[in-house]
Amino acid sequence: MALKIPNSKTQEKMDLNAPVIPNGLKPRKRKSLQAQESRDAYLLITPLLLLTFVFIFFPMVSNFFYSLTDWRGFGGLNWIGLENFRTMIQDERFWQSIKNTLILLLFIPLGVFIPLCLAALLRGGLKGWKFFRAVIYLPQVLGYVILGMIYNLFLRSNGPLNSLFEMVGLQSWALDWLNRPLLALLSLGTVYGVFLRIGFGTIYFLAAMGGVDEHLYEAARVDGAGWWTRFWHITLPSIRFNIEFLVVMSVIENVARAFSFIYTFSRGGPGYSTHTLEYSLYTLGFTNGRIGYASAWSVILFFVCAVIAVMQIRLMRWNDG
Amino acid sequence: MDKSLKFYTYLVLILFALASIYPLFHVFITSFKQIDEYIENRVFPPSRWVLDNFKVAIEQGHLLYYFRNNVILIPTAMLLYLFVCVTAGFAFGRLRFRLRLPLFLTTLFLMIFPQMLLSLQIFNICNKLYLTDTYLGVILVWTAYFAPFGTYIMATFFSSIPYEIIESARVDGASTWRILTQITTPMALPMLGFLIIIGFQSMWNELPFSLLLLQSMEKRTVTLGVAMVQGQYGIADPLRAAVIVLASSIPILVFLFFQKYITTGTFTGSLKG
Repeated sequence: MALKIPNSKTQEKMDLNAPVIPNGLKPRKRKSLQAQESRDAYLLITPLLLLTFVFIFFPMVSNFFYSLTDWRGFGGLNWIGLENFRTMIQDERFWQSIKNTLILLLFIPLGVFIPLCLAALLRGGLKGWKFFRAVIYLPQVLGYVILGMIYNLFLRSNGPLNSLFEMVGLQSWALDWLNRPLLALLSLGTVYGVFLRIGFGTIYFLAAMGGVDEHLYEAARVDGAGWWTRFWHITLPSIRFNIEFLVVMSVIENVARAFSFIYTFSRGGPGYSTHTLEYSLYTLGFTNGRIGYASAWSVILFFVCAVIAVMQIRLMRWNDG
Repeated sequence: MDKSLKFYTYLVLILFALASIYPLFHVFITSFKQIDEYIENRVFPPSRWVLDNFKVAIEQGHLLYYFRNNVILIPTAMLLYLFVCVTAGFAFGRLRFRLRLPLFLTTLFLMIFPQMLLSLQIFNICNKLYLTDTYLGVILVWTAYFAPFGTYIMATFFSSIPYEIIESARVDGASTWRILTQITTPMALPMLGFLIIIGFQSMWNELPFSLLLLQSMEKRTVTLGVAMVQGQYGIADPLRAAVIVLASSIPILVFLFFQKYITTGTFTGSLKG
């Protein structure tokens, strides 16, 4: 859960025309103060720039370089042009990873809709709503590695879920959730794409709904609008930005943050059935040691993420007016 | 609110609360179960609560090493992280300079890329800088990866501080550094609290970088150590559960302690529309 983006209203207003230096000062003094401010600014951002350049920007660019080589992590490397990319598009695992990533994205609507409903219910202010809010959020604090282990334990063929099904006489529901290719992927989607979205989504929407004008609801109530009508015609339009935002964030979580969870939940298995594009980089680069080839995959993932990042930034700025 | 609506609301809430808490609860009771009992009884609480699993987990799982490493790593990385986020956030939020917008957008752009995409090359770079298998390597990489988001938060906050305050300090001859340390940072204290919470959660739960950089057992973090346990075959489930419970204890305590802060409007200022 690294990414929580604030809503627009309090966000950075990029007005470059605001007065910087008090107007009463003499022109020369103003100019030198302005230069001083600019120098200080560059000094203050140096730590950030230095770190991100060495550990984020440079690695990203190196991926492009190594994607054209056959490097295996040690020893010499040969320049092989686009060979890696040619191998890649003929690699069944590549297409399977893409397909798996896309299937995971199909779970997003549900992963956004459920928190919306829960937030709307909690907003009703029933007795004990704060307790429910805390309980629903609780799993979120554990982090994906631990959650992956917990749900792995939970969904094993001889695990508690199946024991529960058998106890209530639903033997036929007790499936081998993690060891059948398609079923494992659907389990991953349900747990990671839906269940694990609920905690953050709910408190995020709840906070957003707190900003909706209460008069709108009162007016609607006077007009005799029911719960559902109010939800559909007032709540949803009012927090449209937040909904769009959570959709983009869910895309990021699925495409670019799932490694830790998959690592303990299913290890990408059985076979390649729960490998996303991101997870495959690990298998190729570290398990198989084919750094050059993995870099070619990284280049593709880079472009996918770049598109999402641009979408996200545009959404943030566009909403800023 | 009419009665049937109230009933259904509670029904839905209880259902989701159970669904989110039950897997955790199951792991909790399993960790106190004897290994033999778990084969027969998977669902109900143990007939006899025992601490054996925890003993084994601590003795053979090297958990104390891992906790020690977290105690060294996270506070150090946190200080660096706060320093980087506050300085850069202040510059982006409240200072004027030519490259402000392009650099700020680049920072936002960098937030999204998955750790795995960078890890292969980061490992390569750290190797050249003799940073693999060192605390310093992980601290620098963590800070670099998590700081763009923290910077964004701080920039958002600092940009909401009225200009008059800064202007009047400037007229009085205060330097930028002085304005930052003595005027604006004290105003940002609640925001720093939020920054510490998300920084803590990101670092405590981080896997890909530590997986690649911390090769020797003595250097592993809790999360990494636990992930390694998951990879070993032949470990009984109650033992696994005990490891999970021990590793989760700290994040859960942090959550209980800051519960109000985390789940209410949270960082209200930045989340509310």
